[in-house]
Amino acid sequence: MSTYITKRILYMIIILFAASFLIFCLYALTPGDFITGNIKLTPERKAELREIYGLNKPVIERYWTWMKNAFHGDFGYSLAQQKPVLTLFNQYIWNSFLLAIISTFLTWFIAVVVGVFVAYKQYSWIDTFVMLFLFAAMSIPSFFIGLFLIKILAVDWKWLPPGGMLTTGSNATGLAYVKEVIHHMTLPVIVMTLLGVGSLTRYFRSNMIDVIKQDYIRTARAKGLKERKVLFTHALRNALLPAITLVGFELPALFGGSLIIEKIFNWPGIGQLYMQSFTLRDYPLLMGFTMFIAILTVIGTLLSDILYRVADPRVRL
Amino acid sequence: MKKRVVTLSTAILVCAILLTACGSNSNNAGTANNGAPSTNQAAPSNTASNAGTTPAADANGLYQASDMSKLPDTAKNRTDTIIVGLTDPSGAFTPYFQQSGYDGNVSSLLYTPLLSVDNKGLPIPGLAEKWDVSADNLTYTYHLRKDLKFSDGSPLTADDVAFTWTILHDKSYDGDSQVSTLHVVGGEDYKAGKATSISGIKVIDPQTISVTLEQPNASALTLLGSDVLSKAYYGKEYKQGQLDYMKKLSSSPLGNGPYKLEKFIPGQEVRMIANENYFGGKPKTEHFIYKTSDGDTWQYLETGEVDYASFSATKENIDKLKELGFVNVQAYTPSNYGYLQVNLAHPALKDKLVRQALTYGLDRQSIYVEASQGAYQVANIPSSLISWAYTEEGINPYKYDPEKAKQLLDQAGWKVGADGIREKDGKKLTIHYLGSKKPDTDVFIAVAKEDYEALGIKFEPEVFADFNALVSKVEGGDYDLVSFSTSLLTDPADGLLQFVDGEIAGYDNPKFKELYAKGLATSNIDERKEIYKQIFQLLNDDLPVIFTSYKKSVYAYNGRIQNLSISPFNGLAPSLPNWTLSK
Repeated sequence: MSTYITKRILYMIIILFAASFLIFCLYALTPGDFITGNIKLTPERKAELREIYGLNKPVIERYWTWMKNAFHGDFGYSLAQQKPVLTLFNQYIWNSFLLAIISTFLTWFIAVVVGVFVAYKQYSWIDTFVMLFLFAAMSIPSFFIGLFLIKILAVDWKWLPPGGMLTTGSNATGLAYVKEVIHHMTLPVIVMTLLGVGSLTRYFRSNMIDVIKQDYIRTARAKGLKERKVLFTHALRNALLPAITLVGFELPALFGGSLIIEKIFNWPGIGQLYMQSFTLRDYPLLMGFTMFIAILTVIGTLLSDILYRVADPRVRL
Repeated sequence: MKKRVVTLSTAILVCAILLTACGSNSNNAGTANNGAPSTNQAAPSNTASNAGTTPAADANGLYQASDMSKLPDTAKNRTDTIIVGLTDPSGAFTPYFQQSGYDGNVSSLLYTPLLSVDNKGLPIPGLAEKWDVSADNLTYTYHLRKDLKFSDGSPLTADDVAFTWTILHDKSYDGDSQVSTLHVVGGEDYKAGKATSISGIKVIDPQTISVTLEQPNASALTLLGSDVLSKAYYGKEYKQGQLDYMKKLSSSPLGNGPYKLEKFIPGQEVRMIANENYFGGKPKTEHFIYKTSDGDTWQYLETGEVDYASFSATKENIDKLKELGFVNVQAYTPSNYGYLQVNLAHPALKDKLVRQALTYGLDRQSIYVEASQGAYQVANIPSSLISWAYTEEGINPYKYDPEKAKQLLDQAGWKVGADGIREKDGKKLTIHYLGSKKPDTDVFIAVAKEDYEALGIKFEPEVFADFNALVSKVEGGDYDLVSFSTSLLTDPADGLLQFVDGEIAGYDNPKFKELYAKGLATSNIDERKEIYKQIFQLLNDDLPVIFTSYKKSVYAYNGRIQNLSISPFNGLAPSLPNWTLSK
């Protein structure tokens, strides 16, 4: 086990190195740089600024400078926002995380419960109805459903705020603050859950159907176990196993923010910040953020491998 | 599982494209607005034409709110706070040291310039109560008001002004202020580190400062007459050639404007509070908030979460705004112009006749006025519609005339070939057009393709979702025609700079250069008007770029706000101290 982990960590470092180089090249070679978009500058001034920012140096040299600083824990200043990249992450990521953790929890919870239930009632009218609903929810584009809900629930009926995270100008603290945030996050969480729950429910449903057909389930039933026990102890545990792979993938998603949802609901998350930085070619921020996601992805896969070991005694690492 | 990934990635892709489109727009606008805020006011001259379609407007193009009882409670409950939407303030609030125009909008409330400009772009007093320009137009002297204070109560003197001008010449200065291009005497030496101060900047007494230039430049007066940074606060750590420390101060601005920063909540709000030390007296409304949201998000205006928003001036938008009932709606024209940059290295396009043919042969009226429901007006000169220098005298309007266009093309030697495409010396006349991804571009392409193909020109459009990628392709010369818009222009010379500084590569007309220098050599407005008229006539004939359009917008604000007026050049900052909320 421990040799396995050492080996994995070694691989991870190599992968991250390769990824960082690839990501850096990708950003550096995208046409246009931080200076290009500023139409106010004269060509002469543009050249001066490229010199100041080091953008006129070869890509490899820029990469080494970046790497060297990153190893010293210095991810640089955002060119556009004039703040250290890590400070900016700290200001925005937690907002994204809050949305993601709650909607992920809801998605998984609903998907497991509904998935098990409709698998058990396979081909019944309720199964058909639920599947129909889930397909519909999955296929509607998020920006449409988001704007539609804003129109109905916020603008017309005035039940929920149309966006943001706080009531503008509010000085709420403590419990009142928590209440305000919950009020504001209801709409985005509904939309994110609606979008995610469809595929996950389908996934659990089909896993569950496979498992229910196994011999050991028939054996369990033949032993005279209660149906509930058969379903939730014997069937569900086995049906959940493949989902561990998904858990690994959820890790970067929790911190990565959602471009579309954050834009529509004006949520102050990292996804919006990233998108703006990309159009501006704010290299330090882009590099920092993409590397952060790369690290989380690698850790996520390691985590799911270890979880397999914990959950399934048949797996030997 | 696979399906999930596919749907997800398609959705992300589609939306990424959508978002980059918005993103690049705001990027464009953001940089365009640097220094000069994005909110503008109506020019009475052009709202007249607007009034034809919407008769309810008064003489200034203002539609009064019709039914204040529709005002949402959210807005009604705010008694000492005004909220305005702002796309994306990033928190870097030091003027000259910010990269985004949205931060410029914030700092324009936190700082007051030495001089401001009126609605035609002519200088009016700010922190300086008066100013003199020497007879040779080389020395500018500013006389500051007495007892000026920064928001912390410390005095503001000529030393602070000198400090501000000096650091803009520092070699590590990485902002986009144009002050260092004015050729202040001794500025180059300071930048190169050969001198420890700039000899052309002289503090005469605590209220008086003068600056001498090497060559006359009429736009220097307003360019130098901008915001003032406190030497005591921003100069504490300054060493020549080392301005990095300014980044640390960017989120804790010390200004002298009508408001001071109370709290910045990243991605959400910029909260400001009235500055009791403001030279014009403490503003009438205690709190002002810039809420982070796209400028034209309907839902915040409709629910009363913001008091002010700006939209494209389509008839549909105006009607919808009027229907809200509780907002006043005002039309305005921003101080910029749109144009098609032409690749002057192209064998056909370097010929003036072909450029004229392309202008005659393009139905700009359909593209910019009819298809956009009046959100644009056709432009024919490189000046903003509201500038004091704007003129239509002796200007060829290039009315859509395909016959004339064909005739000019024949005259230039481009004859219709066997396949219907014009050619000359065995070369076919093709035009490779680049545009940013947005609905306006789609309209342009549809009309231009039809118009140009009718002339026998092969038209190949290419659309970019990303503004930087488009500009870099233009810089590489891989284009024939590209749609651009200038940043907001204050002085008429600003709109001409691109023809002299090498940005429009390949345009070299000695007559124009001579007139350009002449236009900057005098500060007399009447003389300058005459010179700019000649320049506009010259460029209108030469067409180094094809002039296209003036974008028009409307802003809508809560009917409770009194005394609101928006400067085309300085946005809401000049009138904001007087805004009040009626009960």
